[in-house]
Amino acid sequence: MATSMSMSTSTSSGRSEKRRRRLGRLGPNLVLITAAVFFIAPLVSMTRFAFQTIPMVKLGWSTLFDRWSLKSLTEAFKEPFFWPTLALSLKLAAGTVFITLALLIPTGLYVHLRLPKARGLVEFLTVLPYVVPPIALVAGVAAFFRPNARWFLNSNYSLVPLYVVMALPFTYRSIDAGIRAIDVRTLVDASRSLGASWPATLRRVLLPNMSASIIASAFLTATVVLGEFTIARTLAKNTFPIFSFDYFGRKAQGGISLALFTLVGTTALLGFFTLVTRGKARRQVTRF
Amino acid sequence: MTALIYGAVRKTFGTNVALEGLDLALTTGELVSLLGPSGCGKTTALRIAAGFERADSGTITVAGKDITNLAPHKRNMGMVFQGYSLFPNLTVEGNVEYGLRTRKVPAEERRRRVGEMLELVQLSTMAKRYAHQLSGGQQQRVALARALAIKPEVLLLDEPLSALDAKVRATLRDEIRRIQTELGITTLFVTHDQEEALAISDRVGVMSDGKLEQLGAPTEIYRHPASAFVARFVGSMNQLPASVLGPDAVQVAGMTVATTAGAGLATNQQVRLLVRPEDLALVEENAGLPGSVTATTFQGTSTIVAVRLDALDALVSVHTRGASAAAITLGERVVVGIDGTRAVCEIVTEDAA
Repeated sequence: MATSMSMSTSTSSGRSEKRRRRLGRLGPNLVLITAAVFFIAPLVSMTRFAFQTIPMVKLGWSTLFDRWSLKSLTEAFKEPFFWPTLALSLKLAAGTVFITLALLIPTGLYVHLRLPKARGLVEFLTVLPYVVPPIALVAGVAAFFRPNARWFLNSNYSLVPLYVVMALPFTYRSIDAGIRAIDVRTLVDASRSLGASWPATLRRVLLPNMSASIIASAFLTATVVLGEFTIARTLAKNTFPIFSFDYFGRKAQGGISLALFTLVGTTALLGFFTLVTRGKARRQVTRF
Repeated sequence: MTALIYGAVRKTFGTNVALEGLDLALTTGELVSLLGPSGCGKTTALRIAAGFERADSGTITVAGKDITNLAPHKRNMGMVFQGYSLFPNLTVEGNVEYGLRTRKVPAEERRRRVGEMLELVQLSTMAKRYAHQLSGGQQQRVALARALAIKPEVLLLDEPLSALDAKVRATLRDEIRRIQTELGITTLFVTHDQEEALAISDRVGVMSDGKLEQLGAPTEIYRHPASAFVARFVGSMNQLPASVLGPDAVQVAGMTVATTAGAGLATNQQVRLLVRPEDLALVEENAGLPGSVTATTFQGTSTIVAVRLDALDALVSVHTRGASAAAITLGERVVVGIDGTRAVCEIVTEDAA
């Protein structure tokens, strides 16, 4: 009797445990589904709007598989400003990435090795561009350079230093995380004791072991440049985001297809770099 | 012939004096350990030899050449670090080859040397592995091979065993000594572990507050400590309140102990007599100080007996051997005899008293 009672108690407590676990999972799943709908629904809508040659009022469940075409995108490719603006934005991205890395890697290493107490201050300074609106930044820059160095503002490449500042909050964090992930001091000392100069130590030891964070940092920088609108518009530079926006004004379907093109392109790049650096990142983790 | 000489090396960090005029000379092929508590300056001394820190004053000489102001990468020093220092992006052989590449050694010679070094540390089968695929002990062996591959003039070991577990530590410690002896390489070994230092060194330098308290063979350091600090830091030590009777005797709780430890001190000077557990013995009645056994620790070949002395109300450890020692029971009345031959006297200051 007592045994059967205890068995039934344990069965019911097992059931309630299962129910509790199921309910416990429901909350996070609900959040996940809501988030997915929030992000995926607009993307699906954009894709249908961009690549289905059907009037918008007729876009419903019944027309889900009708008249799909890449025409809006191929037409955008044929626009006279498509390739020049894309080329300019890619060049600006490359320049920004180069200068950002050239500035931040030595700075991060120097702060880590020689001025560890200044780490908090440097972090604070790198966050500042995040709290200063781009319009305020560009207004200040224009007000200063227009009377003093107009030639600087006339060049398309005047955007590069501004983009470097804009990208700082993201890029410094990534580089700093890369430096913290390895025992920089010991690796530097080991390399130096084995006869390597500072540049050789940087090239053969530090950069290869920070590659994952360097690539992440470069990618974040490029993403900032390829999506930046305010500064380019204010300084009247015809970059890819400006072209996309203007094109959207003229041909809404084409503009959306360009936005999707950029999204897919950057996501593919991110995926590629993640795959490339995964092995290296794994090697950086020491297990015993 | 001397291989490495510290000449009155002084180093400060702000107001903290890390090294106070260190004088030390290592002869070719010997292994000298710098032993001391954290912050005593031992690692600073090693880093100054490696070139990672600059001395405020004094000189560092290697094989007769002054290298005090030479950059680290221009000194021919091999170093093994406390933390795991293998380059994660390189394989084991890539790591060992690193120093040879920086010296632009031809490929054929590099391959041969890497093979030799990996054989020396018995890791030839792991040449293609990365650091994360090795255990801590294996990583330190590779680090040792990497440091030795460049044929350094001096090998610097900065607590290379401290991150390892006890068993691996003991094995690697012996392996380091075997390799060092085999290659005859002058080695400076920094450690806070007295057992490690005493086990593998030709000479041990005990440091405290930036100063070298004593430099000597392990047995000399253990048996004839030059100061109370060395006596306390190396091995375990009993402390007994005593007063000086003369140059060859002190009195402990009314019992006269023959020792020269009080030589040079005034008669009736209050001191602490520092005596090792193995210099205390359980003796016949009237030949020592009576007390009760409070604990026994069996250690295989010997037994440590803790005795509370009646006259001093102080606890002492007695190192005993033989079958009778194992039969001692808790609370048993015993008599503790003191052999003062190797004892050290420490003056009791008013504050300490």
